[in-house]
Parts: sequence; structure tokens; C-alpha cells
Amino acid sequence: MLLAAARYGYPNAKVRALRSRKLTEQDRHFLLDAKDLTSCLSYLATTSYSPFLPDPEKGIPELSALERQLARPLLDHYAKVVHSLRGAKERELILALFRRFEAENLKIVLRALFAGFSRDAVSHLLYPVGHLSDLDWDTLWACKSIGELLEHLRPDIFGRSLQHALPQFEAQGRLFPLEMALDFSCFRLLRQAVSALGKRYDRTVTEKIFTSYIDILNILWVIRLKIDYGLPPEEIVNYTLPEGNEITLDCLNRLSRVKDIAEFINQLPPVFRHELSGIRDWGKIGPALETYFLKILARIFSGQPFHIGVGVAYLLEKEIELGGLITVLQAKAKNLTVEEIGNRLPRQFSEIGHVQAG
Amino acid sequence: MFRPVKLTRVTIQIPEDYISAVMAILGDLRLLHLIRVEETPLGRMGYVAHVNTSLLARYDVLLVRINSLLEDLQVSGPTPVIGKTPRPDKAIFRLEEECTAVEKESLEVLEQRKNLRSTLFEHQSLIARLRLLEPVGVELDRLYRLRYTTFHAGLIPEENLERLETSLGEIHHTLIPIDRKEGRVVLLAMALKEDNAVLLRALKSAFWDPLELSTELQGNVTTILERLTGEEQQIEDDLAELEKKCKDLAHQYGGKLRQLREELLISRQLILAQEKFGQIDHTYLLTGWLPVSLFEELRQRVMKASSDNALVEQIVPEEVKEVRSGILTIPILFNNPALIRPFERLTTLYGTPSYEEVEPTGFLAITFLLLFGMMFGDVGHGGVLCALGYLIFKKMYRYLDYGIILMECGLSAIVFGILYGSVFGLEDLIPALWMHPMENIAYFMKISVVIGITMISTGLILNLVNILHQHRYGELLSASGLAGALFYWLITALAIRYFLIGPPTALEIMFAKTAGGLLFALMILQRPIRQLLARRSRTKKARFSVPGIGVTFLESLVEVLDELLRYLANTASFVRIAAFALAHAGLFMAVFTLADMVQRAQGSGFFYWLTLVLGNVVIIGLEGLVVSIQTVRLEYYEFFSKFFQGGGKPFQPLFEEKESGPNSLKS
Repeated sequence: MLLAAARYGYPNAKVRALRSRKLTEQDRHFLLDAKDLTSCLSYLATTSYSPFLPDPEKGIPELSALERQLARPLLDHYAKVVHSLRGAKERELILALFRRFEAENLKIVLRALFAGFSRDAVSHLLYPVGHLSDLDWDTLWACKSIGELLEHLRPDIFGRSLQHALPQFEAQGRLFPLEMALDFSCFRLLRQAVSALGKRYDRTVTEKIFTSYIDILNILWVIRLKIDYGLPPEEIVNYTLPEGNEITLDCLNRLSRVKDIAEFINQLPPVFRHELSGIRDWGKIGPALETYFLKILARIFSGQPFHIGVGVAYLLEKEIELGGLITVLQAKAKNLTVEEIGNRLPRQFSEIGHVQAG
Repeated sequence: MFRPVKLTRVTIQIPEDYISAVMAILGDLRLLHLIRVEETPLGRMGYVAHVNTSLLARYDVLLVRINSLLEDLQVSGPTPVIGKTPRPDKAIFRLEEECTAVEKESLEVLEQRKNLRSTLFEHQSLIARLRLLEPVGVELDRLYRLRYTTFHAGLIPEENLERLETSLGEIHHTLIPIDRKEGRVVLLAMALKEDNAVLLRALKSAFWDPLELSTELQGNVTTILERLTGEEQQIEDDLAELEKKCKDLAHQYGGKLRQLREELLISRQLILAQEKFGQIDHTYLLTGWLPVSLFEELRQRVMKASSDNALVEQIVPEEVKEVRSGILTIPILFNNPALIRPFERLTTLYGTPSYEEVEPTGFLAITFLLLFGMMFGDVGHGGVLCALGYLIFKKMYRYLDYGIILMECGLSAIVFGILYGSVFGLEDLIPALWMHPMENIAYFMKISVVIGITMISTGLILNLVNILHQHRYGELLSASGLAGALFYWLITALAIRYFLIGPPTALEIMFAKTAGGLLFALMILQRPIRQLLARRSRTKKARFSVPGIGVTFLESLVEVLDELLRYLANTASFVRIAAFALAHAGLFMAVFTLADMVQRAQGSGFFYWLTLVLGNVVIIGLEGLVVSIQTVRLEYYEFFSKFFQGGGKPFQPLFEEKESGPNSLKS
């Protein structure tokens, strides 16, 4: 315990200090209550997001650009958490989590290459990954073809997965296989980073977080692929992530073949059935699952505090906060009512507000 | 050597009919730095010539053809020297004809080779695909003949296999893993023909990489492989024969093609140079800088080629209006012997000398080698550097200059190694003709300071030459001019007198005080007085109090003190010569001590010698780098800063511009 305290004392204090800057119950109230996007942004200027907002005199920027600007504090916090950690394996774990943003940027590069857009034309869609990213972005942007770009990626990071998906990209003539390969690659890296952790407690805590995260993502992906994209079951199962916590491959197979939402919820393991009971709208499943995940993350902050899970939980919590904030801004831009917005947000954000540190 | 090549401004007016002939003459002379007429008053009035685009297009097409032949025939070798520059408008006909003749002989063979290579590639990839299925030894034609069952062979990522199996749970199927290869499983997937669509969708989503097999393949995989391997051998034999034919063609036409390409590039460059010409109706106007020595030859040849219809004028650079008004800079064409020429790179790294100032490369080369040799003096290490330099010189054409510099530095180190009596740090192999640095530390330091005084004094003299040459007489009285130099020499003379003979006499001290005081006052007051006089002459009033004069005085005082202190610091900086020579010798001692310790610990002579060799490698690498940096530092900060202003423009001869357009395609 003493060793763990020495190892994680500083990161733990750092994370809790960062967590204190999260949006509060009061912030949530005023953001939801704002009469339009302009007043929503005016209020946001009084929060910790203030330095990352554009100059109000220049008018409201495009939402897509604003979303990426608002991601800056989250990515800065990634850098801070990484720098606060002493162990290389722990840093590697946070970096593996961070690679999801690199993957998102790589998707933009791929789309730009595919559609023939220049870097400048899509730069506002990129996450500001900064110095934490060790990919040579200038070289990647200089590539003239997707094949050339893949040659420049390290096999152990994204390269191998993308190479494996290349034949299907060529056969289908669309980017979907490559984008899925990037997502799979991120979670493969996360699994490797978790397995490499030296302390068993660290492994147990992070496995709990990530397997729950995978469960939630798998449920949401099945819904998206089935309802939004209309894919057949035999394809859906192959586009899910392995090694979840409660949800097995068989369960995913059953979920991909259900006829309606009631059957869908019925096929889920008890814990999710309980969380989603009473829901009759596919759109409400996402916020409900985020609420459930936030509860899991909040529990990480209670009990023994000296472990890597604290940093991981905070960064995921912050990411959900960012997602919620973007949902609010998008909804304000469409002039939705407070109730409509509330339905699209996890309960932690819309009702119970800021989860106090345990 | 210490001045750039003397240039003259030449202007040629030539009727349109003779422009190609003149361009050929310019190509022959090479050393003409063309000035874009567009940038002159005539050009600004719109009299600008245009490139003959149709001719340029013909050259571009031909260049692509020749490059393609050179690449396909794999012709390489040195660039041939073109004796007489062709007229671009005439030469194109001959070049096209000669290129067509080579194509007639080569293209058929090259096409055959290309087709055979493609066939071989297809064969090899089919063999590679079949090898993946070899472990199961299936009969492919039997699989293709199955009535109710469909099959697919391919690869999927290992981690996707379990999901694929699950996704096919609703249909009758079988997945047979055959082998593993680079994180993927070689798989034979089978299902009922009616479920083929489901199977294909599932495979597609599992990142399926199908092995494209032909339905014409009959028999067992192993048998098919044997047959294909035999065929592959036959294709390879045929290909080898064609390769030999291509080699013969390359041997036969390689020289010719290189020659054609070079002529083409020169002609193309000449056409492109046209955009720098001026044009008034049917008369062309060319202007540029040319070495004075070539002017007469140019004039005579142009007059002859144009049947005396041209006007060739020469203007002394200093009389060119744009030069006097500072709009145009005279380019600088270095004029150094071959052994010193590589050091031009070091000079231009600091700045390009202007036409009016002393060209410092000669001084740089001599002092660089002297300083490097003194700091790195060792026969063995010098020899290694020499050998490395020679290797670069012979093998790496791009770094030829660095190879020469390295060889010269090595020779200098050898000379000083003989003077120090040091061979790979061993000081008892040869006698020291001068001294062992470690045994004469104080003496070496004095020598270093003397070298410093000499180099700084040379810098000050060169600065005086520049001042006089550029008519900047006002600077003579400044701390960086004659007054400063005299002050520096006065102090230096006193110091030398003190150290060599003894304390100066009262008369000498009195003289030094008076002269030093006068020079000091002159350096401080010269600027305020000049300012005062300038204002008086402007206002025509006999006033001696001018606003701001106090500040100017103060600035002048600070500047003079700063400059004089810098002289002192610059001189002391040369002590580093001794310091690094001692460090070099000190490192040897450390290596020998380490080698002794290793020998005592390991008890073997092998480790002793291994330590010595490794130690010497480290010294050559590390110390060589440090000494080079220190030498460059002394040159730039202590020497060049005294006189070198730079700001010049390099001379750009007609054919040294960077190639662009189709030239760069396959050059």
C-alpha cells in the first residue's frame, strides 16, 4: 500500500485536481436553460472551457470546428495524466486510450485522401492531439494514396490492422472496413496495455472499466449497425469488439437477430436489462448506458485511491462530459426544448449533475 | 584568389533571325549570369520576350521518350561533356531522329520483356497463393465440381475467427484453418450453395482476403504447384535471354542516349532562358554579367554569327546605373584553386561575399587547416581522416567537397602529428619535431594567443581594405576601423613587449598612454562630431548644441567599450586551440589508462588492444566533431566578424539552375 501510495500519490492528486474543474450541477442547469446557442456559449465562457472558446466577436463558428476546439482540454488532460505517471506501462495504458483520438484523426486523413480533399479543407475536423501523438502527421498528410499511407504506419500501432482490412477496402470500394479496423486496433492496443500492467490490482480495476466500456460500445454498435445501417446479423457480429464483461459473442449474435426493442432488452444480461427496463425508444438506450457507465466510473473514485484506474476513469468521465456538452450545443443550435435535450443526455449530466469524488 | 572573378555587364541586341545562334554561343560560354530584362526599365515597359512554347513542348515530349529508354535499358554512368552547344531550333530535328532510331531497335525487345515480366509476376503470385493451400493438399477441380456445396479460400485476421464462427451459427458451414501467416489464418470456408450469400457477407465483415484461384486449375494442389514451378522456370529462362538482349542494347546505345539527353537538357535550358530576354518588335535584347576575360570572345562570336548585325556592349559594373543606386547587385563568381574551392561551402554558410569586398575563402581555408591540425595533431588519426575523406571523395559524389575538406584536414593533422611526435596517441614511436603539447602547456597557450592576434590583425587589415574599396571612409575612425585596429595593435605591442623583453620604459608608457588616449577619444567622439557637422551643414546654422547629441555620445561610448572588450575576448578565445589540443592528448591518456585497467582485470592482451581501438574510434569521432565545431566557431566569430559583411548574390551560370518540369521526371 505504501509503495502504491508513493507510486500513485501524485497522479491521484493531479487527477482529483483536474476533476474539480468538471462542469458542476449549476453549470448544467444554466447550459440547459440557455435560450439559444449564443447564450449557451456565453455561459460556457464562464466555465473551465472558457480558454478554448472562439472569440465571441467573430461570431459563432461551425459546430464541427467548435466540437474539436472543446476537445482540447480533454486532450490536454491526457498529456497531464501521462506526465504525472512514473511507470512506463501505466503511461502506455493512458496512451493506448489516447490512440482512439489518433484513430479518429486517421479516419479524417483517410476520408480526405479518398475524397480528394486537402489537409486545409478538413483540418477543422481534427482532434488537437498535439505532442502526445507520436505519429508523423506531416508525412501521413503528404501521402498520395491510401496504400502509401498504410506503409507509413507502424505495424504494431495501426499498420497491421489496416493492412488486414485493405483487401476488403479494395473489394468494397468504401472506407468502412478501414475505419472498423482502426477501431479494432485501438481496443487491441488497450487490451495489450492492460495485460502488460505489473500490478494485479491495476489490471483488475482497468479490466473492469474497459470490459464494461466494451459491453456498452458493443450494444450501441449493434443498434447502430442494425437500425441505422440495416446490416444483416452475420455482418453485425463481426463488427463487434471481443472480450466484453457481461456480453458474450453468443449474446451479440442473438442481439443482432432480434425483431424489436423489447426483445433486444430481453436478450441482454440481467444487469443491463435492469438498467434499460422501461425503455421503448432506441435513442434512449445510449444515454441510459452512459449513465450506467458513469456510475461504474464514479465507483472507481471511492475506496483504495492509489491505482491507475483513477486516471483512466477520470479521462473517460471527461470524455462523456464532452460528449454531453456537444449534444447540448447541437440541440441548442436546433432550438430543442430542455426536455428533449435531457432525453439525449446521460442522467448524470442531465439530472444528478456532477458526481462527487468518493 | 582573394578577389572574385572580375565581371562586366554585357548587353546584346540581336535580330530575331539570329537568336538561336546566339543562344548556342551563350551555351558554349556557359559563364553568363543572365539578368531578367523584365526587372530592368526596358522590361518594365513591356518589352519582354516569351518562351517558344511549341518548341519547348517538343523537347519535353522527347525528354520523356529518352528518359523512358534510359530507365528501361537501365543505362547509367557519368554525364557526357557536350563540346559545342547546339542551336535549339535546329537540334530538335536531329535529336528526334536519333531517338526514333534507337526506339526502332529497342522498343520491341523492351515490350516483350515487359509482357514476360508481367506473366512471371502472375505466375509467381498464383504459386504463392497455392502454397498457402499446400498443407491440405486438396484437389481444386473436385472442389469446384461440388454440386451442393460452395467453398472459398482466403485469409482472415486471427482474432476474427471466433466471431466469424459465431456469425455463421445460423447456417450449415465448416471453417477449416489450414495455416497461420503473419497474424492471419489461412482458411477454407464451406457452406451450402444456397447460403453462399450469407457466407460471403460474413467473410467480408471478417476482413476476408480471398485467394483468387482459377477454375481452370486441375488436380491436386501439389501437382499444380509442380507444373507451375516448371512453367515458371521456362519463363525465367526466356526472360533471362531478353534481359541479355536489353543489356546488349544498353551497351550499344547507352552512350548515345546519355549524349542525346544532355544535349536535349542544354537546348531546353536555353529555350527556358528566353524568358529572361527582352524583345522589341523583331529584335531581342539580352543582358547579364560575364567574366571580363570572356567578353572579347563573346563579342567576336556573336558578331560573326549575326553577320555583324548585332550590337554587343560592355559596361563597367561600377558605372551601371542600377548598381550605383543599389537596385542591382553584382553577383560574385568565386575564383579559387581546386584545393580551396570546397571551403566555399563554409564561406557561403556564413554569407555570400559582396562583389566589392575581399573574398575570404582563401584565408578561411588556410587558417581552418592550421587550427584543425593544431587541435587534432596526430599522424594516425590524421591518416584515418584522410582515408575517410578519400572514401567519400571516391564513392559519394554528392559529398565530394566534404571528402576533399576531410582529406585536407587529415593531412594537416598528420603534419602536426609529426610536429608533436604522436601516432595514435603513442608519443615514443617518432620524435617530436616541435613539442609534446602536454609537456609545454604554457608555451602552447602563448602560441595560441599569438595565432589569435595574427588572425584578428589579419581580419582588421582586411576590414581596412574593404573600407577603402567600398569608400566607407567615415568608418576609419570607428572602433572597428583604423582607430580600433591601431588601438588593438598598441595594446598588443605593449603586452608582447612585457612578456618577451620585460616591463616597458617610462617613455614607452607615456607614448602608449598618449596614443591610446587620443585613439580612444577619437573613437568615442567621431560619431557625435560627424552628426554635429551633418546637421550644421543641413541647417546652415553655427549651433553647437544639437538635440540628441548627448545620447549619441553615450551610445558611442558604450559601443567603443563593447568593441574593445570584444577584441580582448576574441584574442583570449584562441586559447581554446591549446585547450583542445591538450584535451586530445588527455583523451589518449585516459584511453591508455583504461586499457591498462581492462588488461589487469581481464588478464588478456586482446582486451587491451580492443580498448585502445575503441578508444581511438571514440576520439576520432567525438574529438573530430568537437574540434571541427571549435574551428568553425573561431573562423566565424573571431575572424569573419572583423571584416566580412556578406549580402552578396551568387553568380548563376546558364546551366546550373535547378532542373524543373520533365527534366526532373526521371533524371
